Amino acid sequence: MAPMDPRPSTASRARRHGAGLVASAALIALLAACAGGGSSESPAAPADAGEPVTIEFWGWVPNLEEAVEAWNAENPDIQVEFHRMTGDDGDKIPSAIDAGTAPDVFQLGTAGMVEQIIAGRLLDISDYVEDVSDKYDETAWASVTFGESIYGLPQDAGPSGMMYRTDIFAEHGIEVPTTWEEYLDAGRALKEEGIYLAQLSPNEAGFWLQQVWQAGGSLAGIDGDQWTVETNNEASMEVAALWQTALDEGLFKVVEMWTPEYWAAVNNGEIATINYLAWFPALLKENVGETSGLWAVTHSPRIGGEETAGSGGYGANVIPANTEHPAQAAEFAKWLNTSDEGLSFLIERGGIFPAALPGLENEALLVEDEFFGGQVINEVFLEEATKAPSTWVYGPTHNLTQEALKDAFARVANGELTFAEALDQVAADQRQDILDAGLAVK
Amino acid sequence: MAPYLLSLPFVALFTVFMAAPILVAVWSSLFRVRRSGLGLGGNEGTEFVGLDNYVLALGRPEFVESFGRVLLYGMVQVPIMLGLALLFALLFDSAVTRFKPFFQLVVFLPYAVPTVVAALLWGFLYQPGVSPLVEWLAGLGVDAQFLAPGTVLWSIANIGVWSYTGINMIIIYSALQAVPRDVYEAARLDGAGELRTALSIKIPMVAPAIFLTVLFSIIGNLQLFNEPAVIRSITSNVTATYTPNMSIYQATTVGGNANLGAAMAVIVGIVTLVVSVLASRASNRGTKGAL
Repeated sequence: MAPMDPRPSTASRARRHGAGLVASAALIALLAACAGGGSSESPAAPADAGEPVTIEFWGWVPNLEEAVEAWNAENPDIQVEFHRMTGDDGDKIPSAIDAGTAPDVFQLGTAGMVEQIIAGRLLDISDYVEDVSDKYDETAWASVTFGESIYGLPQDAGPSGMMYRTDIFAEHGIEVPTTWEEYLDAGRALKEEGIYLAQLSPNEAGFWLQQVWQAGGSLAGIDGDQWTVETNNEASMEVAALWQTALDEGLFKVVEMWTPEYWAAVNNGEIATINYLAWFPALLKENVGETSGLWAVTHSPRIGGEETAGSGGYGANVIPANTEHPAQAAEFAKWLNTSDEGLSFLIERGGIFPAALPGLENEALLVEDEFFGGQVINEVFLEEATKAPSTWVYGPTHNLTQEALKDAFARVANGELTFAEALDQVAADQRQDILDAGLAVK
Repeated sequence: MAPYLLSLPFVALFTVFMAAPILVAVWSSLFRVRRSGLGLGGNEGTEFVGLDNYVLALGRPEFVESFGRVLLYGMVQVPIMLGLALLFALLFDSAVTRFKPFFQLVVFLPYAVPTVVAALLWGFLYQPGVSPLVEWLAGLGVDAQFLAPGTVLWSIANIGVWSYTGINMIIIYSALQAVPRDVYEAARLDGAGELRTALSIKIPMVAPAIFLTVLFSIIGNLQLFNEPAVIRSITSNVTATYTPNMSIYQATTVGGNANLGAAMAVIVGIVTLVVSVLASRASNRGTKGAL
């Protein structure tokens, strides 16, 4: 890797900036306490404060009903009605907000937040939630912060890790790689044995996004009052070079993700490693149960000598701009996502990987898993959970850009383009999409 | 008064479900949401932009290409499908076919399968690694690549042929049934065999019905969405903007730009109208020539 790589400085600058943010938030909380107001009393509390209100909450985490029941028992003044999101409920919410019939709190991935903020659908909840900023690491907090405003509370996280077949590595006497150089070397050794190092799945952009995140890159950025296009920036190009090497040397099996063909290939041991996110092991167990006991998890191969992990973004609880009870809604969201009680419901009964720091202490995460040969795999993911660089910014056209990446990578897989060319092309489209949305782009 | 009252249900439904949506789409296509800078301040209302959205839509090469793709698709898929439909209709109409109701049902049945389900079924058959079809062809030494960049369009066309041959057969067959039997008798007396009767009597007599199926097929193909959208889930060689309707979906549902999507929808409507009129002209000339 080039020693002139500017990423360390960028990352550390961001880290310092983040520390400042936390410090200033703490200061604000302190001042508020000195003023005798009490930080939980929000300045924008509506007229009906004190009167019992009922708020509506939409979410999809399993067994949320139990958490809501516990909350309702303790909070007679803020009664919560829960609706379990299924099917296309998520797609209905934007129209529901526009029509004024939306729930007061709902679940939304951070990838889709900016688009809703730009459409004016989400409430800036900074005043209500600044006192819990210290419950999150910098990257999680940055994922709900845009400009000076905070638009949600992160709920679950997806740090990256590498799942690998212990039997394959053992049988052929190949070391489990810890850096990208070792990763490629392992791939070359595996190729000799007729086994692929990993997959290239053009239809699943997540692999690419999490690794660019790990490399300290992003698809978009903010510079003053303008969006920036980062899809083909230096960090992305670095990952592109690594992927290109692996593809050119035949270390990747090109196969579309989630298809029966894909699971068959994994089940047959054609693919030795899957470098993906914390929620993936559950799906692996579900789909290739026959390979139980043959897997283990370790951290993602490090890029450029830096001890960083990738991330798949966060799930968050957000509040619509036109809710009648913002303070109460925020109060409930804070309890669910940052209090020990709320987090234990989410983790123990909901099975999520938490975003909030207190949740990472939860013992329930530490279970031995037969499928992974008795390994406590969350020990790895917990270790990685706070290592994702805070350089990532979801842009205003993230969904479109992600589709463009898929289409371009399909052409890479067919040999029509290189990864670097694909990124340049997608970046040009992205720039145009941002302009077409009426926004400023640098 | 009675005539107006009787036509009221139609007029009301037509207004609500046809005219109003078209007007809303046209109206919406002339505006854009006003934003500034990062846009984090939310919407600042809408502004009238005239035909800007149309310029934007037509300036997107992938949108224009998607029309070329469905037209190419139509030029191959429609003749094959209608050729088969006509052949089946003529066979069922001739006296030689045995077990007629059974075979008619077999040809018609795929139409009863929802297109999404049909695409899922065929998708399974196209997919290497799990498809018995691919495996069987491999056994014969044929390396079948149904989902490759050059073949996936025709794999989708195959789903269309499979799904819609039946209904077109029924339309043509019904028209054949309406031809007066004495015409055939006269033909037979003049010494025409089954083939001659089919070519010189039956096909010209049902030409209007065939034209109808051509028109429906053209309109249907311009609105192609379900099959390619489903096949996209198993191969990225179907892009997100593969057909005009997929481009619209991309602009609106994925990209959140309803105004641009409205302009694209109006363009699809206009292209459909133009192609339909052209087909209609060509057919009128053809029908006159035949009779």
